[in-house]
Amino acid sequence: MRRSVVLLICSLSGLASATTLAQEGHPLTGTWSGDWGSGPSKRTHVTMVMAWDGKTVTGTINPGPDAVAVQSITLDVTTWTIRFEADGKDSAGMPVHIAAEGRVEDIASAHRTISGTWRQGTTKADFKLTRD
Amino acid sequence: MRRNALLGLTATILLGWTALAAQRAASAVYDSERQIRLEGVVTRVDWVNPRAFFFVDVRGGDVVANWAVEFGNPIELERNRWKRSTLRIGDIVIVDATPARDVTRQVLARSVVHKATGKRLFELPAARPRASLKLPPPRWPDGQIRLGPPAGQKGYWGAASVKGLVESKAASVRMNDEGLLMDLSEVDRVAPFQPWAKAVYLHRQRTRLKDDPIARCMPPGGPRQFMRPNGFQFIEQRELGRILVLMGGGNRNWRVIYTDGRPQGQAAEVVLSFFGNSVGRWDKDVLVVDSIGYNERFWFTNGGLPHTEALHLVERFSRPNLDILRYEVTVDDPRTYTRPWTGGWTVQWVPGEEIEEYFCEENAESTFIR
Repeated sequence: MRRSVVLLICSLSGLASATTLAQEGHPLTGTWSGDWGSGPSKRTHVTMVMAWDGKTVTGTINPGPDAVAVQSITLDVTTWTIRFEADGKDSAGMPVHIAAEGRVEDIASAHRTISGTWRQGTTKADFKLTRD
Repeated sequence: MRRNALLGLTATILLGWTALAAQRAASAVYDSERQIRLEGVVTRVDWVNPRAFFFVDVRGGDVVANWAVEFGNPIELERNRWKRSTLRIGDIVIVDATPARDVTRQVLARSVVHKATGKRLFELPAARPRASLKLPPPRWPDGQIRLGPPAGQKGYWGAASVKGLVESKAASVRMNDEGLLMDLSEVDRVAPFQPWAKAVYLHRQRTRLKDDPIARCMPPGGPRQFMRPNGFQFIEQRELGRILVLMGGGNRNWRVIYTDGRPQGQAAEVVLSFFGNSVGRWDKDVLVVDSIGYNERFWFTNGGLPHTEALHLVERFSRPNLDILRYEVTVDDPRTYTRPWTGGWTVQWVPGEEIEEYFCEENAESTFIR
């Protein structure tokens, strides 16, 4: 019992440390998670991974079996505005175009955020992603 | 112009302190545009590294408020014969100080006067350049330069000649002791930034370096380890084919430079770290060190120059005489800078002394909410 408690505390401590690691490089690099939707009760989870190779930012939405490669990602560093577009599939498996525009907030934080508008097909929604 | 004046004022106020204030940007914590005077009774003295504090009860009418007064680094103060017992609980002092930017009752002392005697306490002498005898650099029996002390002696590398890394061909870029630019319009002379990197650097500058990872006790990876206030030393383990770099500040970090002839690793396979993977070789009297494998969790120089995992450094260490270490570094990070660039500085030898105990974490408790 005591051993289990100690292990639990260690695990939680490790988790806390792991989730507070800062990243001081390109502000978009890393794994971001959050959701998009047209209202508080209608949200869809999103995981987005981005990387900077020195010339372009590449990205993947929901890596895994249903991954969507992001076609273009641009970052305007004068306003920290990000725009990205991708072609994915909707819940019925039909092709759908995604276009999002948001602002990177609190760029110095390990848990900086991107929030803005998300268009998926004809649906206009908002989104918010937080860097893991 | 106003920014210049303010930064100049800050630099003046903090003269003698910035070498001590150490692990966080004083510019971010204290508001040099304001000055206040406190008179009160000393209630506690925290004589701890890296920043010593004392506390005073200040009376205003019927209300007594306790203030925290930051007044220097104990190592430096003791070198100048100040002691913990210089100030005693119950003493009445008059403090002229720079207040914290937020609403906390915390100040950085500019002067402390013992009211009963009128004596100024904790003053440090103005730094004077030490006369150099231009003695030749010490060497090992086989003739190779020693980076440490001459055989049988003590010493370490102390103050750097600059406070921030800039490209060598920039004539001069004015910055304070924390790497804060006096004039932001000089940013393009610092380094050949990619647009995002320039924007990040300017953000860090405009926010007065408040998010500096070193304030959270992150290690000073890259060139920064050779410009920290409390110095460093090389431990040359020739029989093991390596050189250890011990840092006097921060978390008592060390870095390993392998000199056993091993090849540099592949960037994609190196475990990313704060000090990277370093291999060195001697080119006549110059130690050339090639490093890759840096993580992105630190600022590699004062002032907040950004980098990515693609950072590749080539450092050159030479010792033209006993007292001087010449340091040059070529920064190659194509994800952050438009081309490789080079900067450098010199570091002064401190003979006969050893790096003192100094831990970043020691007085973390002295971050007050009062």
